[in-house]
Parts: sequence; structure tokens; C-alpha cells
Amino acid sequence: MRRWLPASALLLLFLGAWAWLASLPSVDDLTLASPAEVWGAFGDDRDLLLDNARVTLVEVLLGLAISIVAGVSFAVAMHLSRTLRDATYPLLVASQAVPIVVLAPIFVLAFDYGMGPKLAIVALICFFPITVNVLDGLRSVEQDHLKLMRSFGASRVRTLRSVEVPAALPSFFSGLRVAATVSVIGAVFGEWAGADEGLGRLVLLGNNQLQTPRVYAGVVLLTLMAVALFTLVTLLERLTCPWNRTERTA
Amino acid sequence: MQTKVVAPAVEPSSEGETSVAVRGVRRAFRGTHREPLVALAGVDLHVGANEVLGVVGPSGCGKSTLLELVAGLQEPDGGSVEVAGRSPAKARRELCAFMPQRDLLLPWRDALGNAALALECQGVPRGEARSRAAPLLERFGLGGFEAARPAQLSGGMRQRVAFMRTLLPGRPVLLLDEPFASLDSITRASMQAWLADALATEPRTVLLVTHDVEEALFLSDRVAVLSARPGRVVQELEVPMPRPRDRRAAVTDPALARLRERALEVLGS
Amino acid sequence: MKRTQCLLIPALLLAMAVLAAGCGEKKDTITAGETREMSLLLDYFPNADHAGIYAAQAGGHFRDAGLEVAIRQPADPAAPIKQVVAGRVDLAVSYEPEVLRARDKGLKVVAVAALVREPLTSIVSLPGARIRSPKDLAGKTVGTAGIDYQSAYLRTILKDAGVDPAQVKERNVGFNLTPALLTGKVDAVLGAFWNYEGTELRQKGRKPRIIRVNDAGVPTYDELVLVANEDALDRDGDKIRAFIGALARGTKDLRASPDKGIQGLLEANRDLDPRLQREVVKVTLPLFLPEKGKPFGYQDPREWQEFTRWARQNEIVRKLPDASGAFTNDFLPGSGL
Repeated sequence: MRRWLPASALLLLFLGAWAWLASLPSVDDLTLASPAEVWGAFGDDRDLLLDNARVTLVEVLLGLAISIVAGVSFAVAMHLSRTLRDATYPLLVASQAVPIVVLAPIFVLAFDYGMGPKLAIVALICFFPITVNVLDGLRSVEQDHLKLMRSFGASRVRTLRSVEVPAALPSFFSGLRVAATVSVIGAVFGEWAGADEGLGRLVLLGNNQLQTPRVYAGVVLLTLMAVALFTLVTLLERLTCPWNRTERTA
Repeated sequence: MQTKVVAPAVEPSSEGETSVAVRGVRRAFRGTHREPLVALAGVDLHVGANEVLGVVGPSGCGKSTLLELVAGLQEPDGGSVEVAGRSPAKARRELCAFMPQRDLLLPWRDALGNAALALECQGVPRGEARSRAAPLLERFGLGGFEAARPAQLSGGMRQRVAFMRTLLPGRPVLLLDEPFASLDSITRASMQAWLADALATEPRTVLLVTHDVEEALFLSDRVAVLSARPGRVVQELEVPMPRPRDRRAAVTDPALARLRERALEVLGS
Repeated sequence: MKRTQCLLIPALLLAMAVLAAGCGEKKDTITAGETREMSLLLDYFPNADHAGIYAAQAGGHFRDAGLEVAIRQPADPAAPIKQVVAGRVDLAVSYEPEVLRARDKGLKVVAVAALVREPLTSIVSLPGARIRSPKDLAGKTVGTAGIDYQSAYLRTILKDAGVDPAQVKERNVGFNLTPALLTGKVDAVLGAFWNYEGTELRQKGRKPRIIRVNDAGVPTYDELVLVANEDALDRDGDKIRAFIGALARGTKDLRASPDKGIQGLLEANRDLDPRLQREVVKVTLPLFLPEKGKPFGYQDPREWQEFTRWARQNEIVRKLPDASGAFTNDFLPGSGL
């Protein structure tokens, strides 16, 4: 319980600063909505906000799922084949540098309007931290462990299963934590390329229609989503990697 | 922490003629400076079936490399290595049980799981492997710690688990790389006693690498002394006392004392 | 005596009329020697729709009118209105529906001149979609940018053509209207400008089919307007008047020699294709200029009222009773061109 105290205090401080800033005469309320106005928007637009949040959440979760499958597969494949790693690593890095603005229309061309492009964009943004971290985790296994497994006569698969994959789990969760945090903004970018629903779309239209409190309410929801996902990943890690925790407290 | 260990019950017996023959073995590595690092420069050793050979030498003399060569984890650059007359690396690996210096327990497996690891790698199903390992844990004084994770075990307990892991597959040749180095002297003494008894009950061909001359003399039939790098066998000593040996007798016996002097002398030069 | 008295009154009346006309002649230049700063925020990247502004800048007309004009580009589409309301810029380029919507919210923004006095928004399609008139939209997919009043245009057009809205699928394609059309993901797009995207597609040999919204049932409106902060009108009235006067002169230059006139625009935005910009200016020029007999930048009150009525019906505005106060012609140059 006590661990929540510093974060709560900081949050209250932040809210106070926000409210103060919004009250300044030089800051007009089209640019910055006050916490009270945002709270009002939650009341007035509740259904609108929640319905759109649900849509974006689905995009985020599905996109993350795809990125996990892709990310882990890439990492294992690159770990097993040096040639593949040398060939694909530069391309994977390059994929992160291409602006979404350029990619979005291409995805629309490939997947048509609908969920497709959004999932593609979320997956594109999220797979990379997972791939890099899992690969690093797999490669971080000590030579001595691999030697030992060889002395047992273990097959490649057995070594992967019993040593390399469990060793890489903490790294996987590191990558997943990053991915979960950026997945939300990925969904927003995807929606900006053309969407009929979703918080990203709501925020964009709200901005154009000068509905500032709604825009900020949408932003708050997106933030909460990211924080919730991050926390979920951390919980998952605690459940699946208990040995990590014990090591630290021992 | 329990220090008492009891000799295990009869395990699957090793096959007949499992000797180890090392002839003129050379092994060099790419060094940091232009010249290659020669670890072993012509080593000749022979270990008869069910014989215990102790290998002592100064640090960095290639003792671990020697074990890995016998174990089939490396190939010599010159000379030959045979186990039970077989030279292919795969065959050597199948016949040898290698115990490295560090316990290398997997943090995500509990004590029982770690002990069962080698068996599982050989294809034994997990449940069966674990049930084969369970009685051994008891006998090694780790009863009640089956579900403990390595982080929760002391150094001595971890070493014992590693030992179980090495023994369980029942391979005829044991290659032990300083197995008691990381233990405190009390645990070390009782582990040495246990190994001595175990080998008497359950004979295996053993190559025991150690930096402790006393330990080598206590446990081995013969002791080979390796020179500093590049390693060569500079002395072979025969230990005339039958095994298993009484600790006090081993320490006070004048013949053994002379051997100890001799070994230390050779090592010192 | 009586004769002179008879002449005197008409003479006096004439003198008064002349004086009144002289007073009515609004000052559209500031006395030489003063230079006042002025900021203008565009609605989008500099393009041919802004040619008159850049022609006025390049031709030195702002300078001659005693103004130093800084032309800025917006960070987001909602910036023009926001910045004007916040008093961060003096003038901005915006759109009639957005002005009405802002006023509906009680924001103090006023349209002070029409920059493009007719709609440019259109339904654009390629021949393959076989859309010759709004009736042909039945069973088709139309891409929009998700802007509420543009979706309302579509609804009005369909109603006017007797097409059941349920038979037309509207897809939000973000701001990528042309790519959506070219990749065939939609049959038509609403929101493209007939002068700009229409010309662009034609120059690329795509033979676009264009339906202007005001030809299909939407009341006519001013596509681009110049807006200012209502509260600043008293203080900055002179400046604004001077600006619009200079703009009129710049647009006149553009009419006289279009090729020379767009140099200023091309220099401001080097990404532009000169051939396209020339063609767009050519077809849009009549809309930069007022109707015969009207002053430069004239906003027709009847049209504004009609459009506001339409906006109310389609819930673009909810509280605004009519267009009064949303626009003013008080700052336009004295006589038409």
C-alpha cells in the first residue's frame, strides 16, 4: 500500500499544476481543457468515449498478439540461423524508421479499410522491441550451459526448450513492456489513416471540431489504457518468472 | 543445512571395459596475442576400468580442457582420445558424465527438476525422471528441498544437486572438474567421504580434477601431476592404500605423506 | 433670390453628398511612414488557393500599405480558428462552415472577406466507377475525410438525388483522399477540390468525373474566407482594411499576368509543381475576384443566411439563429475591381 503513495502524490501534484495552467488567462480553453472540463466530458460523452475506447482496445490487443507471435518467431529463427540473422536484422531495423504516414496507405492497399491496417501498424511498431529483446535473451545464455546440455546428449530442440527459452523469458517481458506501452499510440496512428471508430479518430475529429474537453478526455483514456497494459505485463511476468523475483530478494 | 550424506543404493551398473586412453594429446587455442595459446602439449594418460585417476596441477594448466576433451566436448588438435576404445566425439559424450566446476543449475527448475535434467535430455519423460531423482535427493540429505529453487539453496546443496544430476544417467565414466572446490571444508570433507564410499559400492571409471593434493590422494588410485601451461604429465603417482580410505589413516600414513611431499615438490618446480 | 435659394439647396445637398461619399470612402492605406506588423495563418500548406496572398506579398503591396505580413503554416487543421480566437494571429484562412461552427460555440471569430467565393468541394470519381450524376452513387462506396459538414454535404446530395443513404457506403479514409481513389478502395471521394485535385488528376491523364456540391443540392458558400478576432476589429480595423486592399491589388496582378504572379507562391513552397499551380490559378481566378459590381472579397448575406439555415437543418450548428455577426463586409476596399 505504501508503495502507491509517492505515485499518488505526484499525480495530485500534476493535476494541480494542470488545473493551474488551464486557469491562466494567457492559456485559452481551446488549447488546454482544465481537469474539471475533462471530468465534465466524461460525464457528457461517457458512452461515446467508452464505445470508441472499446474499439481501440481491441485493435491494441489483437495487434499486440500478432506482434508477440511475429516477434518471438523472428527472434527464434534468427537465433537458430546466423545467415538469417545477418540478412534480416538490417531490414527489421529499417522497418522502424519508415514513417507511418508513408506506410499507412500501403497497408490500406493491402488490407482494405477496416481493422487490417490498424493491426498492421500496431504489430509493426510492437514486434521490434519484442524481437530485439528475445534475441538478446536467447543469446545471453552462457556457453557453459550449452556445453553442459551437449554433454547430456540433448537435442537442439531440448536445449531451446529447457535452457534458452526460459533464460530468455525475462528479456521477452522487457520487450513486451515496451511494446505494450507503444501499442496504444500505434493504434491511434492507424486510426488516423482512416477509421470509422476508435479513440484516435475521436481525438482527431474532436480537435478539428474544437471540442477540446472531449479531446483531452480521449487522451486520458488512451493513457490509462497504456498504463493498464504495462501493469498487466508486469503481473504476467511475476506469475511466469517467479525465479527472477526470488533471486532479487534472496 | 544437513551435512550427513548416506551412500546411495545400488544404481544401474556400468558396463565392463570402460577405460579412458589419452595419447599424445595437443590442444591449442587462438590467443589474444598472435601466438596460439597451447593448453596441452602432448598429454599421455590411461585410466583403467573402474579406476579413479586424480589429476592435479597449477591453475590454468589445462586440467578443465583435458576433461572436456575426454568428455567429447572438444577435439584434440593432435593425438587421440578414446573412451572404451571408441574415439568419435558422440560416443565419448554418451559414455561420459561430465560435471563442470560450477553447478550450472537452471534457476527456473526446482532442485528435483535440476537433478532430473540429464535424464530428461536423454528422453526419459519428465514424471519418470523426477521420480528416479527423488530418492537420491533424500539420500543426499536434501529431503524436503525438492521444490526449492537454486537461489534458495546454499552452495553446498547446489553442488550436491549437480552431483545427482551427473550420477543419475548411470554413465560408466565420471569426469569431475573440481567438484568440491566451492564448498566449505566441513561439507567438503563429508562429500569426499561420501564419494569414496559411493565409488567403493558402485565402481565407475573416474577422472577427478582437483587442485587439492590431499583430496586427490584420498580418493584416487593414481594421481597424475600436470605441469603449468603448456600442460604435460610430469609425474604419475601410485596410491598404495585400498579404497575406501579412512580419513585419519590417509592423513597420517607415511607412504601417503611421502607421495604428498613428492607431488607438492613437483608442483612447486 | 428664390432662384439662388433653389440652386443652393441642391448645391448644398450635392456638397454634402460629395463629402459623405468622401467620408464613406474607407481608408485602405495607412499614412506613409508607419509600418505595422501583421500575422496571417494559412489553412493548409501554401498552394494555388493562396496565390493572391503571395502575389500581394511578392508585388510589395503589403509593404506599400504599411504592413509587414508574416505568413504562417498551421500545425493542425483546427489551428486557424483557435489561433485567431486566442489572439495569437491577426488573420487566418478558414472555411465558412467552420466559422459558423465556431460562432455556434460562442467563439468570437468573424469572416472579414471571401477569398474563394464559391464551393470547391466536390465528389470526384474515375471513369471506371461510372458515376455521371449523384443518382449513380447508389450502391457505391464514397470516401470522406471524416469531417462532419462534408458528410452532411453527402447526405444532402443523396437526398436531393433521391438516393437512399443506406445504399451508399461512406468510408473514412483520413486525409488520403486521392490515394484512396487511385487505389480503387473507394468508388468516389467527397472533399477533394475540383480546382485542385480535379486539375491534378486531369494532368495525370486520369480523366476525373467531378460533381461540385453546389451543383448537387448543397447551398452555395464561400470555400475560403479570411477570418479575424471579433474583439480586435475595433483596434485593428485599419490594418485589416489595409490588408484586404493590398490583397485585392495582388490578385489584380495575378489576373494581369498569372505566370509572373505565382512566383511568390512557388518560392514560398518549393515542393509545388509549377505546371499544376498555374493551371489551378487559371481556373480559380474568377472565384478570387468578386462578381461584377461588388467589392473585392464580398460575402453575399443572402447566401450566408441560406447556408446557415442548411447548417442548422443538418446539425452542424445548433444554437446559431442566423448568419448575422458571423461575417462582415465593412473592411472591404471602397470600390470593386
